Amino acid sequence: MLLALLLLPLLTQDSTVTARRSTEARGTRTIAIDEVLADQAHLHVGDRVSISPRPNAPGDTVIIAAIVRRGADPSEVARGDLRVRLHLDQLQTLSGYSDRVDRFAIQTSPVADLPRLIERINDVAFGFRAYRSRDIAVETSRTFQVVSRFHRAIGIITIVASSVFLLCIMVLKVEERRRDIAALRLMGISRSTVVRAIVVEAALIAVLGSLLGIVLGWMVSLFVNWHYQAVYRTPLAFSMVTPPIVVVAVLLSLALGIGAGIAASLRLVRQPPLALFGR
Amino acid sequence: MRAVLAKASLVRHRARTMLAILGVAIAAAMLLDMVMLATGMRESFRELLLTRGFQLRLAPKGTLPFDTDATIADVASVVATLRRNPDVREISPVLGGSIHIPIRGRDLSASILGIDPRVQGDYELLSGTDLTAPNTIVVNQRLLRELGSKLGDTIQVSTGYDPQTRSYSGQRALVVTGTVRFLYGASDQSAAAVRRETLQQMNAQSPTRAGDRASLFMIRVRDNANVEAIRRWIEAQLPNVSALSIATAIAQVDQRLSYFRQLALILGAVSLFVGFLLVTTLVTVSVNERAGEIAVLRAIGVSRTHVIEQVVVEGVFISLIGAIIGLLLGLITARYLNSILSAFPGLPMAIDFFLFQPVAAWSALGLLIASGIGAGVYPAYRAASLPISETLRREAIA
Amino acid sequence: MSESPIISLRDVRRDYALGAERVHALQGVSLDVARGDYVAIVGPSGCGKSTLLNLIGVIDQPTSGSVTIDGKRVDAMSDREATQFRLRNIGFVFQRFYLMPILSALENVALPMAEAGVPKDERVKRASGLLTYVWLGNRQRHRPSEMSGGEQQRVAIARALANQPKLLLADEPTGELDAKTGTEIIALFQRLNNDGTTIVVVTHDEDLASAAKRKIHMRDGRVVDG
Repeated sequence: MLLALLLLPLLTQDSTVTARRSTEARGTRTIAIDEVLADQAHLHVGDRVSISPRPNAPGDTVIIAAIVRRGADPSEVARGDLRVRLHLDQLQTLSGYSDRVDRFAIQTSPVADLPRLIERINDVAFGFRAYRSRDIAVETSRTFQVVSRFHRAIGIITIVASSVFLLCIMVLKVEERRRDIAALRLMGISRSTVVRAIVVEAALIAVLGSLLGIVLGWMVSLFVNWHYQAVYRTPLAFSMVTPPIVVVAVLLSLALGIGAGIAASLRLVRQPPLALFGR
Repeated sequence: MRAVLAKASLVRHRARTMLAILGVAIAAAMLLDMVMLATGMRESFRELLLTRGFQLRLAPKGTLPFDTDATIADVASVVATLRRNPDVREISPVLGGSIHIPIRGRDLSASILGIDPRVQGDYELLSGTDLTAPNTIVVNQRLLRELGSKLGDTIQVSTGYDPQTRSYSGQRALVVTGTVRFLYGASDQSAAAVRRETLQQMNAQSPTRAGDRASLFMIRVRDNANVEAIRRWIEAQLPNVSALSIATAIAQVDQRLSYFRQLALILGAVSLFVGFLLVTTLVTVSVNERAGEIAVLRAIGVSRTHVIEQVVVEGVFISLIGAIIGLLLGLITARYLNSILSAFPGLPMAIDFFLFQPVAAWSALGLLIASGIGAGVYPAYRAASLPISETLRREAIA
Repeated sequence: MSESPIISLRDVRRDYALGAERVHALQGVSLDVARGDYVAIVGPSGCGKSTLLNLIGVIDQPTSGSVTIDGKRVDAMSDREATQFRLRNIGFVFQRFYLMPILSALENVALPMAEAGVPKDERVKRASGLLTYVWLGNRQRHRPSEMSGGEQQRVAIARALANQPKLLLADEPTGELDAKTGTEIIALFQRLNNDGTTIVVVTHDEDLASAAKRKIHMRDGRVVDG
């Protein structure tokens, strides 16, 4: 079992899944375990377990007092770590760490002047530094930043690819109606009217397609979150459909749809009507 | 004649054909990239693990190599136990840690490996000499640059650093004898290696790291030995360790990076579907336009099969040319995407996420071409099955 | 002993659905055409003459009745059998020529021969000969778009003759041509018939109908005369 010390997690807000606490037996300490460990090892609140710093070494007998769900920390998600929470003094004794910690987490009042506080701490700090939690989060989520960059690259490639596909299919579909267009032109309908008609149609299709795409994207997003939250046992949201994303997606698909419609129709109206009939 | 007709038909609508080829090329590129992503990590990781021929790795129980600070105690006893198995040929114990070097008024930290230079499988020597003597150190080029040193210089290296008191423990003067490339090293990591006994001596004062310890054992077995049987034997003999075969290690990494495989599968399937859709649309529009021509061909005695073949050949032309262009495009985008993912912190430089494997690549592109064939069949069959007289009449009216 | 007719229809009906209505295009047609004959089928628009030609040409099947071409019952043939039969026994000429625009005149004429498995050298030779026959020996490499309507129709006729069919069927062959060009086509048909080809044309063109040896009048899906 891995022993890890997390007193007040800097990055996460843990929620206690099982709130029932058993009464400490005299002399027996209590621990909290995360729900992944509880699941894998079939442990429950009230169970007695032995914890030690090395495999098969003698250790302490403790009672499981709570089962905890981890917070949404992207850097932990795929690691598959198992977490246990002990009282600080017990872990220090067990691990031979003596009177030491890796870090302090400090909760300040809402109106605290954080930069000044950090400066004051660092002035008197002796061998440690103070940071804002947010800055640490940025540093430790490099993994996540790489994944984000990757997603963005895939997204851009997908948009470029979709544009080509859309243009291709638009050209084909508009070409199917070359005779209709030829007939209209022969009747005296102007080029601009024909182009406008096709563009309006393309815009309508783009709007309907966007709406359908948003619904589909939202449903897929729900599924992705449901699936990966279950796989990694985390409340972390893997996918979010936000208003700005919706706006960008709709505007982009409108622009692409209308653009493709214009390109496709211009191609045809530039040809003499009789040529469109194949004469 | 069918190929002539198919080619001529495609050339007749040049812009349309080019656009369809471009679309298929993009689909092919994405499909290729996803195939490379799905198998790349696993295969490049497997190649990395087998670079020096070590088929088994031992780590502290329940951990992966260097996942934690935990170590395996009593190395001599572990080695003696392992030697009892006649299939075990070579054992390379490795002790990991970190070092601190005071330089220009600040503390420079780096990771360190304590190894046995006779059997080590962690680095290859680039310049200078290996760790033939005690109190020598080899470094990677990044660390050498940071130190501002050159081969032959002596540096003060410590294994402990107390930031509160700004004091070093386990300090020793080591001579830089060579520069190395760490096989499992990340690109952004400063690293060094010393003999394991040197590192143990430097750790002697540490309450948690003192003693005859190793973070990892790498084991080379006899040729044709049953690796899985040896692995099970080791775990039975040494309850404090987890023995990992290449397969187990890969499975563990697979599990952590399963997201990329799933993404690859989904995007690959979508690419294939889109490629199929494009060819189907093109062929459908093409045969709809030529309904009259097709009816005439049938009227003059060309069989339905031959009409279908001609149309399908058009779909194959587009898919084939698109696949070839897509191959080139896919290799270029794979390089770009790989460069993004290679920035994962702590990822060994040797790991590629996108690895070109001929068999997988040709299979994927073959699948795309096959789908191009399939995409053409149904619209062609429908067009060739239209009632001839009715179609001619309709075309005449049109 | 008289030879059996090359075409024989007995009580042939052809109905088809047009929206919600049922159209009776042919209502019990019976007729014979002798070998070597030159027959013109005439009648007002919608009388069923093109439908009749399609049944004779085995590109359509009757709702009931029998159609016999050169001694073979063709009304119940499978698609494959009908296709093969058309390829080797029937030449069809259409009002709108229907040449492959992407092929040259020579390639258009060679197309049915390629389908019939004629080797390349042979089919080039025969196609060239046929184009010469229809007075287009010097236009072999030209595409249809580079030819006049009359030239295109002559190429179409040459194509129809590619596999030396027993029967040449023509649906309004002069419908898209001016009078002068139409005359050339009429002359060509005359020549073909003199050389032994059985011809059946459907036409509104009085001159073409007059050039035929026999006229069959149709009205409302029935043969009224001839």
